Amino acid sequence: MHVMGTIGIYVVAAVGTLALGLLAKWYDRKVTAMVQYRKGPPVYQPLADVLKLFCKETLMPSTARGTGFLIAPAVGLASAGLVAAILWAALVRPGVSSFPADLIVVIYLLLIPPIATILGASASGNPHASLGASREMKLILSYELPFLLALLVGVIHAAGAGGVWSLSLGGLAEAQAEAGSTLYSVSGVLAMISAVLAVQAKLGQVPFDQAEAECEIMSGVYVEYSGTPLALILMTRAMLLAVMPLLLILALWGGLGGGLPGALAFAGKYLLLVTLVTLIRNTNPRLRIDQTMKFFWLGLTPAAVLAVVLAVIGRTWTITWL
Amino acid sequence: MADVTTTQQAQVPLTGVVGERLRALGDAVVAVERCDERRGMARIDPDRVVEVARKMFAMPGTRLATCTGLDVRDGVDVLYHWAVEPEGLVITLKALAAGPELEIDSIANELPAANWIEREMHDLLGANFRNHPDMRRLILDDSWPEGVYPLRKSFDQVADRPPPPPVPPAPEEDLP
Amino acid sequence: MALVNWALRKSLWVYHVNTGACNNCDIELLDLLTPRFDIERFGMMLVGSPRHADVLAVTGVCTRQAQPRLQEVYRQTPKPCIVMAVGSCAGAQGIFTEAYHMGVGVDNAIRAVDASAIIAYVPGCPPKPEAMIACAVKAMELIKTL
Repeated sequence: MHVMGTIGIYVVAAVGTLALGLLAKWYDRKVTAMVQYRKGPPVYQPLADVLKLFCKETLMPSTARGTGFLIAPAVGLASAGLVAAILWAALVRPGVSSFPADLIVVIYLLLIPPIATILGASASGNPHASLGASREMKLILSYELPFLLALLVGVIHAAGAGGVWSLSLGGLAEAQAEAGSTLYSVSGVLAMISAVLAVQAKLGQVPFDQAEAECEIMSGVYVEYSGTPLALILMTRAMLLAVMPLLLILALWGGLGGGLPGALAFAGKYLLLVTLVTLIRNTNPRLRIDQTMKFFWLGLTPAAVLAVVLAVIGRTWTITWL
Repeated sequence: MADVTTTQQAQVPLTGVVGERLRALGDAVVAVERCDERRGMARIDPDRVVEVARKMFAMPGTRLATCTGLDVRDGVDVLYHWAVEPEGLVITLKALAAGPELEIDSIANELPAANWIEREMHDLLGANFRNHPDMRRLILDDSWPEGVYPLRKSFDQVADRPPPPPVPPAPEEDLP
Repeated sequence: MALVNWALRKSLWVYHVNTGACNNCDIELLDLLTPRFDIERFGMMLVGSPRHADVLAVTGVCTRQAQPRLQEVYRQTPKPCIVMAVGSCAGAQGIFTEAYHMGVGVDNAIRAVDASAIIAYVPGCPPKPEAMIACAVKAMELIKTL
């Protein structure tokens, strides 16, 4: 029974996040259209895209290694669903459903979709795809460190408030409920900036979408996918778009507060983060991969390290605004 | 022939840069057809094409603009158009690749710019360039037969067209 | 399969193939994405790979060199797919029918690979974006009957 309950939670959370993700994708396209003085697509558009892809035939290139090529999108989707289940459970019932060190589990699981992308692209045997895969590898090497440091700032603040070092999302949410959000401090702001830009790269959005560069390398990593695998890839990306702001809010912006005001505040914060991702996407050109690496390693990582140092100083000498 | 040359060269106008350049080529110039302020046309000896090209290229401000081929009764006329940059002159030198072998020396070893131009002339007109470093097909497609030259006057654009390229072979296995 | 038809009608992804055009039709095809005509509100998007596409927007006469390549691209587009022959050149080779380097034409080239291909013609040199949208609407009506 316990197993069935767990599977039930996973399925509900994954399907719910998929619906939320498709809605977020529509919101993204609608805001893009408004920024460009057009009318955008109707609200059911991402759903129509996914359904249409399920009904097309799947073509496999003769140079592809079949198993890896077809399994990679499914693996990415499954781990995205698992992350969604863990995060929603930690958000809604922080005391009960959040287990110790689930932040680390989430970080590991969030690495699986990009690695599945790389494996699938390498398995397709296409030179464009291998170019996209090498760019994706360089991207992962660049954005993971600032992202982890930003989450570390959240952990340090939570420890500073309650005195106990906890790596569980529920612990972070509860500590922020007591002492105020991590975001309302200098290190919190720096951490949020690094986290948002790292999320932009993780979601594969302009200016960091060199792996899937449409019309530059003919959709790079996804060039050989068609039909059902492509539908799975689109669903994975929608779910990641729905899940990443959730992680940021849990770690850095206070989680879900109590009652109706808390829920409304949460919805507002979530919408603000998704809008931020969209607006950054609409106002920037795509960077080259070496520019991206320089930006992350020489710009964002020092900022994140500074945030960690300020957070440690703030905790040691109890200066709350640092 | 000598009278015609000297008469025309004696009529070189005031600027005279074109006439000066043609005079520098010496006796490789067989006949001068035109020698205006900014335009010169002369026929050169087809056996001395490489030497003329070397001399023209060594002159200051000169570059090879392009080469063209004409299908004439006696063979293929290869025209070399040289542009002289600061003054804005164009000097055209004509060399006849006489039929039926249509052979003429290639200047691609001296001027890499002429490499592709000569390949194109070979593809479309059938002019053969001796000592060309890389004579491959350039602009006709892979299924075009050898020996059929489409820009010859004897080629009818519709009636002499070779059969269309075949459909590429289907892959052996399809995914279910 | 009403759901399948609905999804295919509402989300047509376009891949653009140039088989030897003067680029006039290509520019008009790009016009469709601008705010004045905006085909993204119909769900149509320009994609970067033929394997993601539902509509192949073919411009240009099909030259001998482009012909086998167009046939390969058609093979790599997952069915069901619609071929949109944009412009007089793609329809009937325009004013270039008697040149030496012409292939068999876009529609004959595609029918040599797949006799039951769906081909939609948009006449014009270049066709107006409104004409292309009218063709897309006719294609959607055809999908309803599939």
